Amino acid sequence: MRRQRLFLLGLLSPVTLYLGVFFFGPLAIIAVFSVLEPGLYGGVEWNFYHWNYGRIFGWADGVVEWYEPVYLKILFRSMLMAAFTVIACLILVYPVTFWVSRLPQRAQLFFMFLITLPFFTSLIIRLYAWLVILKPSGLINDVLLGIGLIETPLDMLFTRFAVVLGMVYVMIPFMFLPVYSSVERLDRTLIEASGDLGARGWQTFLKVILPQTLPGIAGGSVLVFIPSVGNFIIPDVLGGAKGLMIGNLVEQQFLDARNWPFGAALSMVIMAVVLTVMLIYATKIVRAGQRIGEV
Amino acid sequence: MRKIRPWPLTLTLYSLLFFCFIYLPLVVVIVFSFNSNVLDMASWESFTFDWYLGLFGLREVAPSQGTSAIYVESTDQLLNALKNSLIVATFTTIISTTIGTATAIAMARHRFRLRGTYQGVMMLPMMMPDIVLGIGLLIFFITLGFKLSLLTIIIGHCTFLSSYVFIVVQARMAGLDPALEEASADLGANEWVTFRKVLLPQLMPGVVGGAMLAFIISMDDLVITYFIAGTDSTTLPMFIFSMIRRGVKPEINAIATLLILASLIIAGAGLYLRSRRVE
Repeated sequence: MRRQRLFLLGLLSPVTLYLGVFFFGPLAIIAVFSVLEPGLYGGVEWNFYHWNYGRIFGWADGVVEWYEPVYLKILFRSMLMAAFTVIACLILVYPVTFWVSRLPQRAQLFFMFLITLPFFTSLIIRLYAWLVILKPSGLINDVLLGIGLIETPLDMLFTRFAVVLGMVYVMIPFMFLPVYSSVERLDRTLIEASGDLGARGWQTFLKVILPQTLPGIAGGSVLVFIPSVGNFIIPDVLGGAKGLMIGNLVEQQFLDARNWPFGAALSMVIMAVVLTVMLIYATKIVRAGQRIGEV
Repeated sequence: MRKIRPWPLTLTLYSLLFFCFIYLPLVVVIVFSFNSNVLDMASWESFTFDWYLGLFGLREVAPSQGTSAIYVESTDQLLNALKNSLIVATFTTIISTTIGTATAIAMARHRFRLRGTYQGVMMLPMMMPDIVLGIGLLIFFITLGFKLSLLTIIIGHCTFLSSYVFIVVQARMAGLDPALEEASADLGANEWVTFRKVLLPQLMPGVVGGAMLAFIISMDDLVITYFIAGTDSTTLPMFIFSMIRRGVKPEINAIATLLILASLIIAGAGLYLRSRRVE
């Protein structure tokens, strides 16, 4: 018995030490830095300083720091863009999961393989590809100009549209896999029963199919929303000035403005959004899913 | 069992279009890597191999544009970045596979008080936005006086990749029969022998799968690396990112194509092997 405990200790101590130091350490230090005073030349003064949050949320009165509504605005915009990304991913993916779920076993495996494969190619190259496609002299404009649908090239690059498109493209596997796994497990007898009892197609969909696939939809939505809301590479490459997201603001504080405490405060806000979403998922949606599962 | 109505044709068409959409960007990059247009890579001029040759220093490209220096210089930088990425990914894979596998075994074969907590904590690094982890590690390293280097990148990658390995190995653990290990113990083998001779061989596909995933993600990570890389530790994704930021050079399509092919071959082989094993 004692040997067993020793073995367990041996198995668990690497992860405990590693995450304890290199994961919780950094998180704790962000929290500490977010309430420290920024130094004059990019350093930090070890004094308590709540104005970092005041600048974001509005109690900085202009004496020490100014309240800048732009931060909240960009935060909400980022959440909105992440939400759009979730919805667009879902709409794109949902019908396809039904189609794939009824293919022969081998074909199912093949299409799952096709979905996951791009995930393994470099992110930055996939974004770069969209840069080439969207730019004024790019593929889409070439085609549209060629068939005479438009007369001047559309400005698609460096817009919020381009950012959401890029995020949707990158996040598709995260939506597809959870939704697919719940669509695949759909109870077909319930759907038939619904039809036999006189429900119309859309009624069956709303009352039978949708509730059964809800756990997958919720899981996929969380998996897409979280990496989207704090993203800074995608808006950096495709968004330009118009498509700025909260992640870009954090990056600017660290690399251009060199105001680390304020950057830390901004990333605490991102972390709060993410943890709230995870908490809602864990308490509300998982439980609701279990209830549906019990019926 | 009644015959199910087949899907309408529109759904099939839509699904096929969806898969085209997924592969369109990759195809575009590959096609345009053979485009000879120097001034605007996005409009097609004619077929050329020049960018590939230029990449390997085999051909001086477009000296008339006055940019020939770029190609020679960036080939060295490119190879250096590739070397850095391979070093980082190799060490990251070894460390995170060890940590993740050990944790997965502990969770599956032992009952202890904080088990639920560990399960939850292992999810956190994967769900934490990259940028938060990246700046957290940056402040952490700077405050403690670490010099930013390849080592700090490796440390940073292992914090979240251990969790990825953990998930993959845990999935494999779930399908194993603990009776085999009990039999081994009953026959007098100690924990270590049981681990080496009974558990590890069965676990191997999961460990290899997790290691491959860690390697690929480490090779590709940009956000966390971006914050904790030193000046002389540029990795491949960072190199490409800065190339894109500085204004795109035609040779980037060639680099991108080679990378796409490399990762498609590696990932394709891995996924294919895994699906074979399932059958």
